[in-house]
Amino acid sequence: MYYVADVKEADCAKYNCKQCVLFCPEPNTLMYHDSKHVAWVNYSRCKGCAICVYVCSDLLKRNCIQMVMVTTGD
Amino acid sequence: MGLEYVRISPGFEKYMPKDYVDLVQYGQFGREVDVQQLGQFKELVEEHPMCAGCFMAYFIRVFYAALPKPEDTIVIGTAGCARLALSQAAVPFIYGNYGDTNAVASGLKRALSIRFPDKDKDVVVIAGDGGLIDIGFGMTMHSWFRREKFTTIMVDNEVYGNTGGQESGMSPKGVQLKMAPKGKQFDKINAVELAKTAGCVYVAKLAPTNPKRIAKTVRRAILAARHFGPTFIHAYTSCNIEYSIPTEKVLEDARKREKQDFGFYEWMTEEVKEFFEELERKPEEVKA
Ligand SMILES: Cc1ncc(C[n+]2csc(CCOP(=O)(O)OP(=O)(O)O)c2C)c(N)n1
Ligand code: SF4
Ligand code: SF4
Ligand code: SF4
Ligand SMILES: [Mg+2]
Repeated sequence: MYYVADVKEADCAKYNCKQCVLFCPEPNTLMYHDSKHVAWVNYSRCKGCAICVYVCSDLLKRNCIQMVMVTTGD
Repeated sequence: MGLEYVRISPGFEKYMPKDYVDLVQYGQFGREVDVQQLGQFKELVEEHPMCAGCFMAYFIRVFYAALPKPEDTIVIGTAGCARLALSQAAVPFIYGNYGDTNAVASGLKRALSIRFPDKDKDVVVIAGDGGLIDIGFGMTMHSWFRREKFTTIMVDNEVYGNTGGQESGMSPKGVQLKMAPKGKQFDKINAVELAKTAGCVYVAKLAPTNPKRIAKTVRRAILAARHFGPTFIHAYTSCNIEYSIPTEKVLEDARKREKQDFGFYEWMTEEVKEFFEELERKPEEVKA
């Protein structure tokens, strides 16, 4: 079991924003879908730091990304 | 060199690892990316073992996206945390002995200009505060005195992070670290002023709070080194482990330090200033 970030797609899609993507420390991890205009997480690469949550919730007050517990293989 | 080394031989595409194919098809080689496109192309740097939430790792991520010509760049690092990611990128990387980075870079840059007189080959050193301003101090200074044409980037986490928390010359006065239990007795070294005095032609200081500005600074430092002389970036890149910063507060900490003592600062010689003014007038040439 480990923590990863997870984007609430429907909420994120309202904003046409990609701020969290620009602040994730990990490469090729927090991605942005060109046509759907939503951020998405490559779970196997996420280290669970929650900097993206700080960006979306604390700085932007959008609350579109949260930390969730996953089990290996999810 | 150039783009040759990132071509896949015809017929072998389906046998190559997916990350490699992605890099060739959706990566940065031979085309310009904007840092704002992060998350929409395959980045040069791969998965690496730096700690969760490490802002040195973040700076390195943005650094690679900002390279003006990754296929003609060589990165030099050394012992310390940064090399854990620098060694996992699709850009040639040389591991200099601890303290030697700027001597290795001087020789390399000179050799490249002899071997490839008609080509731009960018050399960039990325090393820690310990590596550049303590143990490598002499070689850092002499590469500047001798006007060697490469970029030095100090990823300053104000501690020897990789070896468990010794104080460095860049640790702030009074700070208590695992191996500075009484608190550091001396002031933080003023690396930016040393760089100016020693002969750098472009000097900048920043906290990683704005990816666009990091990218612009990295780009300017590399272009100025290509044409004029030594350049230096002093980047605050916190160590959340040794400074006990909860990972979700790492960006908040960088924003705080930016207000306190890491406000964006940029200095360059008149010659370099004119060069950038000229480039800005002809935007297509910035991309050269
Ligand atoms: C010649 C030499 N002396 C000492 C070491 C041990 N050593 C490895 S990393 C390090 C300190 C790293 O501190 P810094 O350069 O600030 O990088 P950081 O890990 O903080 O990013 C030391 C002393 C070494 N590898 N080589
Ligand atoms: S910061 Fe929030 S709203 Fe913006 S892209 Fe990320 S998850 Fe979506
Ligand atoms: S938790 Fe950290 S590593 Fe994971 S997506 Fe968010 S910022 Fe990136
Ligand atoms: S020890 Fe500190 S500087 Fe090194 S990877 Fe971990 S958080 Fe980053
Ligand atoms: Mg250090």
